[in-house]
Amino acid sequence: MRLPDSVTGSFLVALGAASAYGGYILPPVPGQPVGPNVFPLVIGIGLALCGLAIVFGIGHSFEEEEELIPLEDGQTAAAPLQQGKLYGLRALLPPALLLFYVIAADRLGFIITAALMVYVTSTALGAKWKLALPLAALSPFAIHLIFGKLLRVPLPAGLLPTPW
Amino acid sequence: MLKTLIEAFALISTWEVIIAMFAASVYGLVIGSLPGLSATMATALLVPVTFYLSPIAAIATIVAASSMAIFSGDIPGALLRIPGTPASAAYADEAYAMTRKGQAELALGAGVWFSAVGGIAGVLSLMILAPPLAEVALSFSTYEYFWLALLGLMCATLVARSSPVKAIAGMFLGLLVSCIGIENPGGVPRFTFGLTDLFGGIEPIPALVGVFAVAQVMRAMLTPEPPPLPRRKFGSIMAGQWKLTKKYHWQMTRGNIVGIIIGVLPGAGADMAAWVSYAMSKRFSKEPEKFGTGHVEGLVEAGASNNASIASGWVPSLLFGIPGDTIAAIAIGVLYMKGLNPGPTLFTEKASSMYAIYLMFIIANIMMIPLGIAMIRIAAYILLAPRSAIMPIIMLCCAVGSFAIGNNMFGVVTVAAFGVIGYVMEANGYPVAAMVLGIVMGTMVEQAFVTSLIKSDGSILPFFERPVAAILAAMAIGALLWPVMVWAWRKVKPVRTAVATSR
Repeated sequence: MRLPDSVTGSFLVALGAASAYGGYILPPVPGQPVGPNVFPLVIGIGLALCGLAIVFGIGHSFEEEEELIPLEDGQTAAAPLQQGKLYGLRALLPPALLLFYVIAADRLGFIITAALMVYVTSTALGAKWKLALPLAALSPFAIHLIFGKLLRVPLPAGLLPTPW
Repeated sequence: MLKTLIEAFALISTWEVIIAMFAASVYGLVIGSLPGLSATMATALLVPVTFYLSPIAAIATIVAASSMAIFSGDIPGALLRIPGTPASAAYADEAYAMTRKGQAELALGAGVWFSAVGGIAGVLSLMILAPPLAEVALSFSTYEYFWLALLGLMCATLVARSSPVKAIAGMFLGLLVSCIGIENPGGVPRFTFGLTDLFGGIEPIPALVGVFAVAQVMRAMLTPEPPPLPRRKFGSIMAGQWKLTKKYHWQMTRGNIVGIIIGVLPGAGADMAAWVSYAMSKRFSKEPEKFGTGHVEGLVEAGASNNASIASGWVPSLLFGIPGDTIAAIAIGVLYMKGLNPGPTLFTEKASSMYAIYLMFIIANIMMIPLGIAMIRIAAYILLAPRSAIMPIIMLCCAVGSFAIGNNMFGVVTVAAFGVIGYVMEANGYPVAAMVLGIVMGTMVEQAFVTSLIKSDGSILPFFERPVAAILAAMAIGALLWPVMVWAWRKVKPVRTAVATSR
């Protein structure tokens, strides 16, 4: 997800301008010179200026290229070979699973939702079913025991209530 | 004094505190030793648990887990050349070189021993520095607080190992996030887009969990699994440490002092302390040519430094509510939740709680020695756990933990959103730590800024009129202009060296 500086910089300019405008249209406190509008205005302008500086590449020379630890010989990374077009999208899996939890937890219950999440994450990271299945079956109960039972977080029961 | 000390002892000698501290220590050691799971992440995931503990036990878990995690990041650094936490990255190469020379015991032992010493030096600095600073801070008005907060934010951008412009942009992003909600000077809904969930604003803790934990799981999806740890038998781990202490006592002290100073600076944390101390050790060493070939000197200094910064990072947090680093930022959240609102009066009104914090730091650092040795011996087994087994559990903890903070699902959405934001920012060279500090300090900065403006009737001049405010203002503006000066200097310098070589 490495985007060119011009893209991220322009985005910041737009965001800064939007927040400055958003702050500007906020209603002022009657009889006072400053209210809730000042801070977003200042930040928005600052953000837009930073964005402009980034677009023009100011400060780029300070950036250190990420140091990749060279692997020892014979261990050359095999990962780039299997990179398809959609490979980069795998990174979006964790947040997608969290949103799935938000939608499904109340209906399916904590145990089932959590088991699905664990299974998918584990498989996506390259686990065989021999590891992923037992992990998905056991870890939700362990987490439920700690958070639901000991710390009394009201986790949804849904279709499958826990034995305790 | 003695009475408060006894009270403090009474506060920490309950079973709840003892068990919480022990469990958090083990947890910190394990998380810290797993590559990719940082000390900040360990602390952030712990916050939901602290909700259900008494105030002192809650702080005990944070203190213990963060100190232990910073040390145990050295373990995979020395054995695999993969630092467990960013704070160990500075000297992972050196420690690994020692392991290859067959000195793994010495490297890891130095990690444990000088971490513990550094941690205790950090606590001493906290005990000595905080009360007199509290006296000074009592006379601060909103002008001073505004500049102090700004200085803190600027420091965070200065020390980022990235472009300062991007760091400042990250800081502004954080401040912008803190604008959301109705908790503003006018009490009007701001940037809520009509969503009631946003009225209460973005909680810092789910944002932190997202940025540090979810983003890490996202990165794990795209990076190859680290190699397993070769099993080995260790000899005596503490042997020779006393000799090292005597030989390198000056380096150790310097590491402690640098760590303390960097810790006190708002925004700069353990990783920065380690980098600076390692570089300093190499610069002032009598045998700099040995560095990089498995020489223990740099390890001593940097190990002493990063743990010292953990405790001293609490100084600005406790006094002003300005976090010394990202771990302290989390600690501030916990302090507020537990009714120990940071501020200079904390040291007079809640003196026994403060002493309890000092004591817990000391105990945690003493406990680090036996627990650390045990951890080194079993590390090979813990590091056998594949990433595909650990990351799913982290995901579950993120979901449940963020839900537990407010008992609503919006926390989980926040975590997911900040996971994406953190991932994208990190991938493009925007330091997330700067944004995190912006989120944590945003409300405070705004309050100080707007109150000051109201007091001064919209005029900027009073911001510079009080002597302390003027000094702080000069420092903050200097920090803002510093990158510009460095940039200009670099432009001039090549010309000069060119002239010098041509002569």
